[in-house]
Amino acid sequence: MSAILEIDHVTRRFAGLIAVNDVSFTLNEGEILGVIGPNGAGKTTLVSLISGTLAPSSGDIMFEGHSIKALPAFRRARLGIGRTFQIMRPFPGLSVLDNVAVGALFGKGEGTADLKEAREKARRHLEFVGLGRFADQRADELGGPGRKRLELAKALAMEPKLLLCDEVMAGLNHVEIDEVIDVIRKVRDAGITILVIEHVIKAIKSLSDRLLVIHHGEKIADGEPDAVLSDKTVVEAYLGKRRA
Amino acid sequence: MSTTTRIAIAILVVVVLAAVPWFGSDVVVQFGISTLILAVLAQGWNIIGGYTGYASFGNSTFFGLGAYGVAIAMVQWNLPFWVGMIFGAVMAVAFAILLGIPVLRLKGHYFAIATLALAQVVAAIVSNIPLFGQNIGLVLPPLNNDAMFYELALALLVAATLTVAWLTKSRFGFGLIAIRENEEGAAVMGVNTTLYKVLAFALSGLFSALAGGIQAYWITFLDPASAFDISLNVKMIIMAVFGGPGTIFGPVVGAFVLSAVSEVLSSEITNVAGLFFGIVVVAAVVLMPRGLADIIRHFRTSGWRYFVQNIKAHRI
Repeated sequence: MSAILEIDHVTRRFAGLIAVNDVSFTLNEGEILGVIGPNGAGKTTLVSLISGTLAPSSGDIMFEGHSIKALPAFRRARLGIGRTFQIMRPFPGLSVLDNVAVGALFGKGEGTADLKEAREKARRHLEFVGLGRFADQRADELGGPGRKRLELAKALAMEPKLLLCDEVMAGLNHVEIDEVIDVIRKVRDAGITILVIEHVIKAIKSLSDRLLVIHHGEKIADGEPDAVLSDKTVVEAYLGKRRA
Repeated sequence: MSTTTRIAIAILVVVVLAAVPWFGSDVVVQFGISTLILAVLAQGWNIIGGYTGYASFGNSTFFGLGAYGVAIAMVQWNLPFWVGMIFGAVMAVAFAILLGIPVLRLKGHYFAIATLALAQVVAAIVSNIPLFGQNIGLVLPPLNNDAMFYELALALLVAATLTVAWLTKSRFGFGLIAIRENEEGAAVMGVNTTLYKVLAFALSGLFSALAGGIQAYWITFLDPASAFDISLNVKMIIMAVFGGPGTIFGPVVGAFVLSAVSEVLSSEITNVAGLFFGIVVVAAVVLMPRGLADIIRHFRTSGWRYFVQNIKAHRI
């Protein structure tokens, strides 16, 4: 397995606050890496640093062996990095179909310039995430769970090599979570490497090949899901230190 | 309505409009020229304001630069009109690119204020440059051919509208709409937001400048106050928003309707026309905040409730 993404001693400061502190890890091709951590641990900042909406204060980010640290977000998208947003951000005035078509029009390698082709692709991706029958609705008419799926479809339409999922399961019920897990597995089977951020531990445990735990912006564990979740520091981060 | 019927209607309207100088009176033709120029300006604003979501107050500057391009070429250099049109367009596009790069980093009100300030600065600079005739202005050679100005303005409006129609079907247009709806979301999906915004600003500037060039030659006089009139920018925004920003025909219809309303008011009730025009605009904002185009889309389903819904939605 070769590394598709390498995070090398990345730090991000916001004025006095260190949101991500000297984090390093590699993501291998075809892997599903779960990133967990309490609220405010720096998970979303990490995704923003990889997708390019934020620049690291120090450290380097390598995608397929090349540094992408200095590239703007749109260039990283064209290299094949797709992301979803935790706070769902559809293009509200556009139809659900056209939201996804934007991904196909731009996306990896600049996508296609043909609107008809882009819409056909978009329709396939909507069917894939189970939103097919909402294609002609306005995106802002979708409910929460629908928007989560739309975020996924938009990112998938870019035909990324690496998909960053920022809490696509938050706010969903058990049935919906199982459906999304199923979709993500199918995405992986299609050959896409995935980084999933979640704080619903149960959901992510069954999905991930490997788990990474972030606490106060620092990496505190990285490895097999079962081993990581029984790790003492991880348990302390989530439940607090036992006062004995 | 199917696309074919819509295209047929649009062609018919253009043909009828093109025939106006042959059967209309001088007054009608003159009203037509100024309305067509305003429609071009509203359509030009539509590209940056309606499609890209950046409320520009810099479009009257493009208009002014286009007007000065023609005036300088014809008065100072004795060149033909069309060279002046090109010169003015080049000035406006260069201005849009050079200033668009820093200014388009600002969003919302900040962008509006920055472009407003730019307009004032350009007017101040121009009124000190001898080539531009300083504060005295420039007098162009008169050409007594209103039919020509009318057809020219109509051709420009058709070109601007075709460009906007192309936007709705092209990758470029989708990129602009994505920027308007959610700029960060557009960037992570691969839209080169800076490039697209600057191109939209330049395209918007191009049409505004060409409209300015026609206006200068038609009016035959130009000074900084009339060339860089900020109320003209307000007018184009009102017209575009009244008709429906981000639609193909909305700004054009808005320009025609409001020009007609304003013309009737100023001939019927001369001194309080401005007041009534204001009332029309306020009523439009309250009752149909998304413009005439939105009414046409929703009136069939909602009927008169459409207006009530808008009033409620805005808690007025």
